[in-house]
Amino acid sequence: MGRIKKKGTSGNAKNFITRTKAVRKLQVSLPDFRRLCIFKGIYPREPRNKKKANKGSTASTTFYYTKDIQYLLHEPVLQKFREHKAFAKKLSKALGRGDYSDAKRLEQNNKPQVKLDHIVKERYPTFTDALRDLDDAVSMLFLFSNLPTNHNLPLETIANCEKLTNEWQHYIIRTNSLRKSFLSIKGIYYQAEIQGQDVLWLVPYKFAQNVPVDVDFRIMHTFVEFYSTLVGFVLFRLYTQEGLVYPPKFDEEADARGAGLRAFSLEAKSIGLLPATGKGQKNTKAMTKQMATLGEKIASLEEAEDDTNTDMIQEEDAAAGEATIDTFKPVTTSGADILLQPHMGNVGTAGAADPSCLFAPFTFFLSRETPRPPLEFLLRSFGCKRIGWDLVLGDGAFTENESDPSITHQIVDRPPVYQAALPPVPESDGDEEMEDASRSKRVNGRIPGRIYVQPQYIWDCINIGKLLSPNEYGPGTLLPPHLSPWVKIDEKTYDPTAPGAAGGEESEEEDEEADNGMDEDLESGDEEEEEIGAVILGPENEEEEESEDEEEKAQQEYQRELEAEAAGVKLPVGNKKKDKKKKSKQEREEEEQKDMQKIMMSRRKRKLYEKMQYSNKQKEDEVENLREKRRKLDKEKKKAKA
Amino acid sequence: MAPPTSQKRRIPPTDDFEHSDVSDDDFEVGLLDGALSQNEDEDEDDEEYELDSSGEGSEEEDENEDEDEDEESNSDSESNDPPKVTAKLSELAITKPDKFESSRKIVLDSAGNQRYIYPEIDPVYDSDDTDAEETNTIGNIPLDFYDEYPHVGYDINGKKIMRPAKGQALDALLESIEVPRGWTGLTDRNTGTGLKLTDEELEMVRKIQMDENIEGYDPYQPTVEYFTSITELMPLSAAPEPKRRFIPSKHEAKRIMKIVAAIREGRIVPSKPKEAAKPQFYDIWADELPPRPDHIMNIPAPRLPPPTHDESYNPPKEYLPTDQERTNWEELDPEERKKDYLPRTHSALRLVPGYDTFVKERFERCLDLYLAPRVRRNKLNIDPESLLPKLPSPQDLRPFPTTTATVYRGHVGRVRTLSCDPSGVWLATGGDDGTVRVWEILTGREVWKLQAGEGGEAVHAVKWRPGRDAAILAVATGDDVHLVIPPIFDPETEAASKAILAAGWGYAEIVKKDPLKKEPPAKWTKPEPHQQELGTAVIVSVKHTIKHITWHRRGDYFATVSPEGQNRAVAIHQLSKHASQSPFRKARGIVQRVEFHPFRPHLFVATQRYIRIYDLAKQELAKTLLPGSRWISSFDIHPGGDNLLVGAYDKRLLWHDLDLSTKPYKTMRYHSKAVRGVKYHPGGLPLFCSASDDGSIQVFHGKVYSDLMENALIVPLKVLRGHRVEKSLGVLDVEWHGRECWLFSAGADGTARMWN
Repeated sequence: MGRIKKKGTSGNAKNFITRTKAVRKLQVSLPDFRRLCIFKGIYPREPRNKKKANKGSTASTTFYYTKDIQYLLHEPVLQKFREHKAFAKKLSKALGRGDYSDAKRLEQNNKPQVKLDHIVKERYPTFTDALRDLDDAVSMLFLFSNLPTNHNLPLETIANCEKLTNEWQHYIIRTNSLRKSFLSIKGIYYQAEIQGQDVLWLVPYKFAQNVPVDVDFRIMHTFVEFYSTLVGFVLFRLYTQEGLVYPPKFDEEADARGAGLRAFSLEAKSIGLLPATGKGQKNTKAMTKQMATLGEKIASLEEAEDDTNTDMIQEEDAAAGEATIDTFKPVTTSGADILLQPHMGNVGTAGAADPSCLFAPFTFFLSRETPRPPLEFLLRSFGCKRIGWDLVLGDGAFTENESDPSITHQIVDRPPVYQAALPPVPESDGDEEMEDASRSKRVNGRIPGRIYVQPQYIWDCINIGKLLSPNEYGPGTLLPPHLSPWVKIDEKTYDPTAPGAAGGEESEEEDEEADNGMDEDLESGDEEEEEIGAVILGPENEEEEESEDEEEKAQQEYQRELEAEAAGVKLPVGNKKKDKKKKSKQEREEEEQKDMQKIMMSRRKRKLYEKMQYSNKQKEDEVENLREKRRKLDKEKKKAKA
Repeated sequence: MAPPTSQKRRIPPTDDFEHSDVSDDDFEVGLLDGALSQNEDEDEDDEEYELDSSGEGSEEEDENEDEDEDEESNSDSESNDPPKVTAKLSELAITKPDKFESSRKIVLDSAGNQRYIYPEIDPVYDSDDTDAEETNTIGNIPLDFYDEYPHVGYDINGKKIMRPAKGQALDALLESIEVPRGWTGLTDRNTGTGLKLTDEELEMVRKIQMDENIEGYDPYQPTVEYFTSITELMPLSAAPEPKRRFIPSKHEAKRIMKIVAAIREGRIVPSKPKEAAKPQFYDIWADELPPRPDHIMNIPAPRLPPPTHDESYNPPKEYLPTDQERTNWEELDPEERKKDYLPRTHSALRLVPGYDTFVKERFERCLDLYLAPRVRRNKLNIDPESLLPKLPSPQDLRPFPTTTATVYRGHVGRVRTLSCDPSGVWLATGGDDGTVRVWEILTGREVWKLQAGEGGEAVHAVKWRPGRDAAILAVATGDDVHLVIPPIFDPETEAASKAILAAGWGYAEIVKKDPLKKEPPAKWTKPEPHQQELGTAVIVSVKHTIKHITWHRRGDYFATVSPEGQNRAVAIHQLSKHASQSPFRKARGIVQRVEFHPFRPHLFVATQRYIRIYDLAKQELAKTLLPGSRWISSFDIHPGGDNLLVGAYDKRLLWHDLDLSTKPYKTMRYHSKAVRGVKYHPGGLPLFCSASDDGSIQVFHGKVYSDLMENALIVPLKVLRGHRVEKSLGVLDVEWHGRECWLFSAGADGTARMWN
């Protein structure tokens, strides 16, 4: 006989430690422990045998992996926490004595700073690991950059988050790595592919966020502290690999004027400012300069207008059907600003071939009611270089002039208002020439020669990966449904785009039959009934009395339904029930055999089998529910048409 | 201290003459004094002077003399005679210190003068009694102890202190009405008079009470500087000032130079220089290692699932909830909701409102990340159908009974038991109505009937004797077993059967003669003539109700079971000798069934819990099987002899492989009620069945391989339903046909059925 094993020295009892014990072992306060766990990414575990892990007690507790806690013992951050505790004592002592200068000096010189660099390296030993875990980090930073400050949330944190998110967006624009985006009721989802890793993040709509009382901002803040470090290091690496200087130059003045993304200017490592960003910077640098040149521009435009405008309109009409890109060729001739000239040589091919240059040949203009930041981000990351917007939306636009003839697409999100319904526009004194020029071009409040679309157009184009026909997206039209690009479609899921999504052609036929029945008189209904009755009676079985009864019942019910439908009254029972009743003999035999097989299963397997059947049934029901609704909608549509 | 006499003298002469009775001398002196002296104080001084002079030296005497001279100059009545003066002095000296008179001794010296000798003074503490006041010495006792005495105590000399004269009752009354000034209501212990406070004392008391300063106390006295107020004219020390007081310290200069040098060298800086701000971010993955395989305990947090169509701001219409779904969702607790949002639709992007629980959702994600226990779960991504065991198709395992072929109707009440005869033509049944009926199997015609149970006793068991040479039916009713030869066979068979049954009578006669033999467990009797006419050949009676009969394969022995029979529950009867024996001496549980092994000399006895296998040749217990059920109802032995089927009242059907273990090889629980009968097919088909109180018979394919290494294959084939359940009893007995795959069942609904 071997040695008697002592209890609690191996296995679950040794591998897991309760939270209380962990806190005692580390000799920290619970909030400090929480911070430590968040920084180090330590999470509770679920031991396989709770009773053994808890030394025989079955009280519900949180368990940690013992080795996680053991490694924490030597954590430099833990040491910093202790230093901070000592510092806090000194500071409070100084303040208590009224020694404010001393306190200030202490705060300046002696305050321990927690550095999380080593933790980032430790948690993500390779860069790919870090990229894989960016979802939550980026979402969190985007949320925080949209929050108001409060006593828990200093301004610096928010500014830092905003800076990081802008840098993140710049990287994505530069590398064209955005893949998909989705307008949800929660916010806007984006998915980018960076070095083969998908990063999915959610950005809230630009509204004042509702901050509930029961949200503990200290926890969130700890997360943000770590995430901003992580994203900073990731961005550094990404920028460096792209040959850019990190951090990019940040123009505070421009930011104050609402330049958003344009407040940053990327810088190549060796050359200096990049040409693309140089343009941006120029834009931000002198608003006035642009205004000064505007007069010239318009003058030249007017010259060019005579020959270009008519062509444009024609081709616009043609384009309305197909949305081919070549319609906008003549725009190039109005070269007021040479820098801004798009290279139209390969327009048609570039847009079709590479989704990252989807919008490259176009000039967009954002009306003032559209959300600028997401649209700007999306358009720029899909190749669009020339985006103009109303001055209301901030600084840094390609053009603030709505009537700029180089604009090919205008994104509008307001109900269409016809000129006739509008009150006459009061004459303005200044810039009469310009006013006249713009007004002369407007037809029904729209400038001809460009495509007006609603914002959803951009998203749908991006998700499909090609330019869609803008017909369905015109201002004021009923938009097609906006679908999530992440739903994988297989046989079992419901595909709303499929033409026969309602499924079950037979059932539709049945519906039609029923409809017809409603229109016809009672006699024809009787005929039908007889027919069906004959069909049912055909495969009647002489052996089994019960099944006979059942089938009789089914028949009766079916008859009743038919009658009811003929009378115009709807029975709540669906078609499904009928189908069930009509189950053939073979099906029943199969079921019987399944029962037999179940007899021979072990209890454990049977439970598992039943569970799976249950969950499958739930899913099927959900899909069936959607199909049912779709069927109803289709029917209504048909009725409306007829 | 002044003696009392002198005190008296101090009373001014203006006082009333009432005091005159104290002492005549004093009075006269007082009168004299008052007449002679102009100043009372002066007079007093004089007297004091006189007193002092009494103990002093001679020079004072001179002064006395001068005074006397003054007196003499003032008054001519006194004589100027010096000896007289001295005499007077001495007189004074003698008379004045009265109190010493008792203690001193007067002796005459050599000159004949008087000499006073005083007692030696012991110079201890308190020896000086000069300041002793005139006090009452009675101590701290209540004064009313002395109420009946004229005195109030004793003075230091032990003399009584007399109670002062008290006023009349009227005075006391007046005093009580009109409180005199300074009245305290207390009695002075020393004198016995009322203690009165003077105005000054009263004032002092008032001031103390009011926290005022007492008169004469100046709270703002000028401080007197103890040391500096006195200027010393001369220095305390004559040492000269040291030189170091006048020249700068070298040591200090040295230290300052050190500091200056340190500052110059930059070792000391005004404040710690800020560390050159390192760039916050750098390439942390510059030296990244090749990725390692993930540790098993590292469980990365699952990502949030991407949004689905219904989260869209403009979803397809079919995703919008109906009113019913909306109310359902709203009624649910937020924790129970499947999704935390309801699909909504907006016709334009500008109409999309902010999502009000955005922060909360993110916060919950944070909580999940650091607070939720993580566990690695294997997600089974398999087709549930693959879990179903692969069974051979029932079609391949044919033949097996599937439908009712014949219904045998005729019994009144339950059909308890049935048996198929060895030739396979006849079926015998017995029921609660006490009849035994024999049916033609194929047609279902009742060919013969016997009222076996007298007085309505039920027939519990019927069993044909095995072997085709004879046709004998054993019928158990009450305590008896009737061995019956139904008159439906050809005469030869009938004759052979009768011969077999009759052979034993002679043998029984011989045995009976032996008186030493114990009483046998059963009695073999000839039936009544009318019974003989009906076909009953022999009646074997035991003492308890027989529930089960089983034949040995050769047909010479049969065993009966009467569960109430204790140690005689099992009896083995021999046809050829008309003899019975009870194999067990003592009861081991209630016996349910017994069976003979198909070819070995073994007897299987099933009690409620166990099945015991006895080796009849060696006469010992060979094995005990533990089916693990609470109450065995029936069991059957496979024709191969190595497998056993056990049915139990706790709904179980158990398959025992005797070679494997004493525990069951398979336990099948799929009957919803008690299992009443189990049977293997005796004729070589791999079938077995079980009958239950739920009214169903389940037929299985049960193949036993000759290879010992291979376990038996069990495949469920068919559930036969047809018997009605009456009073919670369904099918009571089952029996297979000897060769065909026909199954007979006896139901509680009064029918027997054949299934094929």
